[in-house]
Amino acid sequence: MKNSRRALVRGFALAAAGLALPVRAQEPALEALMRGMAAVRERQESFTEEKAIPELDLPLPSQGTLHWAAPDRLEKHTTSPIEERLRVQGDRLFYERPDRGIAREFGLEEQPEMRALVESIRATLAGDLAALRRYYDVNFSGSADGDWRMALTPLSVRLRAAVQRIVLAGHGPQILSIETDGGGGVTRMQITPLP
Amino acid sequence: MRAASIRRYGPLLAALLLLAALGGALASVVRVRADLAEFLPPGHTRASEFLARELRSGVATSLLLIGIEGVPPQELARLSRSLGAALRASGRFSFVGDGTTSLGDAEQALLFRYRYLLSPETRPEAFTEPALRARLEALLDGLRSAASPLLARFGFADPTGAFLNLARSWLGESHLETRDGAWFAAAASPPRVLLIARSQGAGLDTEAQQQAVREVREAFAAANPGPARLLLSGPGVFAAQAAATIRGDVHMVTALSGGLLAAFLFWRYRSLLLLALAAVPLGAGMVAGMAVTALAFGSVHGIALGFGMTMLGVTVDYPILLLTLRQRGESLPQAAARIWPTLRLAAVAAALGLVAMLGSGFPGLVQLGLFAAVGLLTAAVVTRWVLPRLLPEARIEARPLPRWLAHPLAALRGRHGLALGVVAVAAGVLLALGGPRWQRDIAALSPVPRASQALDEELRRQLGAPDVRYLIALGPGEEEMILRASERLEAALAPLVARGALAGLDLPSHYLPSRATQQARQAVLPEPDVLRERLQAAMAGLPFRANAFAPFLAAVAESRSLPPLDAAALAGAPTIAARLSPLLSRRGDAWQGLAVAKGVTDPAALAAAVAGLHDPAILFVDTKGETEGLLASFAHATVLWAAAGGVLVFGLFAWALGGLRPALRIAAPVGGALVVTLAVLAAAGEALTLFHLASLLLLAAVSIDYSLFLRSSPGSPNETGSSMGAVLNCAVCTLLTFGLLAFCGTPVLHGIGLTIAVGVAAAFLLACAAVPRPALRA
Repeated sequence: MKNSRRALVRGFALAAAGLALPVRAQEPALEALMRGMAAVRERQESFTEEKAIPELDLPLPSQGTLHWAAPDRLEKHTTSPIEERLRVQGDRLFYERPDRGIAREFGLEEQPEMRALVESIRATLAGDLAALRRYYDVNFSGSADGDWRMALTPLSVRLRAAVQRIVLAGHGPQILSIETDGGGGVTRMQITPLP
Repeated sequence: MRAASIRRYGPLLAALLLLAALGGALASVVRVRADLAEFLPPGHTRASEFLARELRSGVATSLLLIGIEGVPPQELARLSRSLGAALRASGRFSFVGDGTTSLGDAEQALLFRYRYLLSPETRPEAFTEPALRARLEALLDGLRSAASPLLARFGFADPTGAFLNLARSWLGESHLETRDGAWFAAAASPPRVLLIARSQGAGLDTEAQQQAVREVREAFAAANPGPARLLLSGPGVFAAQAAATIRGDVHMVTALSGGLLAAFLFWRYRSLLLLALAAVPLGAGMVAGMAVTALAFGSVHGIALGFGMTMLGVTVDYPILLLTLRQRGESLPQAAARIWPTLRLAAVAAALGLVAMLGSGFPGLVQLGLFAAVGLLTAAVVTRWVLPRLLPEARIEARPLPRWLAHPLAALRGRHGLALGVVAVAAGVLLALGGPRWQRDIAALSPVPRASQALDEELRRQLGAPDVRYLIALGPGEEEMILRASERLEAALAPLVARGALAGLDLPSHYLPSRATQQARQAVLPEPDVLRERLQAAMAGLPFRANAFAPFLAAVAESRSLPPLDAAALAGAPTIAARLSPLLSRRGDAWQGLAVAKGVTDPAALAAAVAGLHDPAILFVDTKGETEGLLASFAHATVLWAAAGGVLVFGLFAWALGGLRPALRIAAPVGGALVVTLAVLAAAGEALTLFHLASLLLLAAVSIDYSLFLRSSPGSPNETGSSMGAVLNCAVCTLLTFGLLAFCGTPVLHGIGLTIAVGVAAAFLLACAAVPRPALRA
């Protein structure tokens, strides 16, 4: 009884210490993860996504594929319920809605909200911690070769009006889920690597 | 010894000091105007009047174009952000545009609040149930797409998309690539970032413009630019730069020509006293000319002053002629009395020639003509009555011409055939080239070096600044009246835009609809209960929560009673106000509106459509056509008046010399020199501007001197020889004073120098050839 109580106290103390641990203490693990990410030059994944918006009764589901090619090309191809392609390469953003005949190209800087969303994933995939930290306060926990969780808080006030927090979770150099909190709504994306 | 020299040189010294003091006093009292537009006529048509006013104080005159290059892109972006922030913080600029340009939060809130009054989509049909249904479906679709963060933010308060469409149309698609919060010039190598700033002061306020330029330079220097280069352009920069370049050129030429002139005079006269003597009539002429012009016009234009002084260069001849033509045993007053009839004739003829300018109708040219005419006559009078008294005992004598110079000159005498031949060839060349070319581009009148003009064009093109060739003036009048005119214009030109005659219009009502239009839109907005019912019906079967669109209902209800927005209230939205300010600006009590036609492919149709409105508040202006017309009418008037001046001068000669033949003998070398000069200028590809004209008039005046003085020595070959020496001295002095300007980089100074160098040489040689061959004597 006494032992178990002691164990419990110790557990709490450890947990408290873990919580109180300065963010920087996780730095080596985060850097290791980033190195691991950078080592993967190309990825092909499928995703499912659910957008919960407070003004809507139901979340809006969608699915499609993701394609990453180092150093800076990321494409999100939504296949259902609407077909949509979103591609970033360098500082350009390409958007395509074939069913509407819409094809647009933007400079990423003109779309700060979009930029933040893009860099949360792209900078992570590129293993570019500096780029990530240009837009976000990064709170990492976990290990580079096991499960990890990375909470991103936008640095700019303006950005926070649209996106309050992005949480990425994964295992080793594989992102498995992305949860984006913005404007009272939550978007959850589950990612599965394609063979 | 010292007392003796004071007695001797005292009066001359005193005269020079007095002139310097008078000149200094005048310079501090008389207002000298500097801008080019003041030099131009006020315009004969409404369009040219409008244009002249725009050139003088239009918003384009307060624009600064800024480029930075010479370091890697990331560093460029940092410099751009830092410079942009510093300029905004300085408070000296009403607008600073760079890659960080976007709607601020307060601005966004204001525009969002007024969206239904500002949006052209506020029409009755937009708020019907089917239209709302379509909007809601589109919103749902958008929420599924990648644009959902933006739509989730605005879509429920604004399901019709009024605000986002407004923002898109206002901020437009930029030609510029925005990276790292900076505008990069598209495909520029080396990479270059661009900024644009509008200073607070009006264009007319040169001092404010220069202060703004200094502000930019200081902010750039404070941003640790390293090896980066700052490129600056715009009217304010031009003013400062033109002044500096001209000053630099003039300093260089003054030092060089002063040295050469002194060396030449010393060689010819073994006396530097001559320099001091020559300065007296010149100084007196300038002081008198400036005083009379200032009295007549209230101020003197800097250009009139500069070129008036150039033309007064001819007066340097007078003391040289006086001193050189003095005969042995003659005192200076006696010599002055003897040459006076010739000198008087020369001065009056030259002054009469300037009548051409008085009649041109160009305020600047009238000033120039008055300045020079008064100066010339004053200088002649001073040479006759004052100069001899300053130094009655002067024993300055020209040394005989060296043989290598005297011999060929003597051989030239009486070669009428040769002279005629040269003039005929020149006339032929001139005819073959289609006559003298008049400069039709007003930019060439600008004293700005060509390299700076080229930089300006490049920056403008990279910034995607609109081509302001076709403007439509709105008003002047009340703000509301101009905005309504703008809306009428938009409606009238819509078919042309649809047809592709022009790509579009930048209109003041595009940013700020008239009060009438805003009120009409308020009237269109449905009552809250009606809208709620329609919305509920439109939402049926869609997954929106019942109260999802509460912000929309509230906004429409509020919009119905908002006081309409006006220009003063729009100041709360600085980005949009800055877009509006060039198009709608206050001029004294009234407002002036401006519409810019973009991508015009059919100017005739545009002009006809605007004219067809018969709207007194709407005026089509082809800026290029108008300025060309202005310059062409100027050229026409000037040629006419120059011809009239020529006839007058010829009449004067005929009257004074007693016959047409002697008059023709005097006038022929003058006309010949003008023809040769025009031919050389045409062959060199120079298009004639005001400045060439001023030089040609100076040229006419000096060649009259040469012709008269070479002719008027009827005596011995010795005397003709000495008058030839005197005239040669005059010609070389003029060449050294003004001809050296041909080596200047500033287009204006180069033009003057070239004209005078060619002209003086031709005038002298032709005048020599026109002198009869000396009778053979034992």
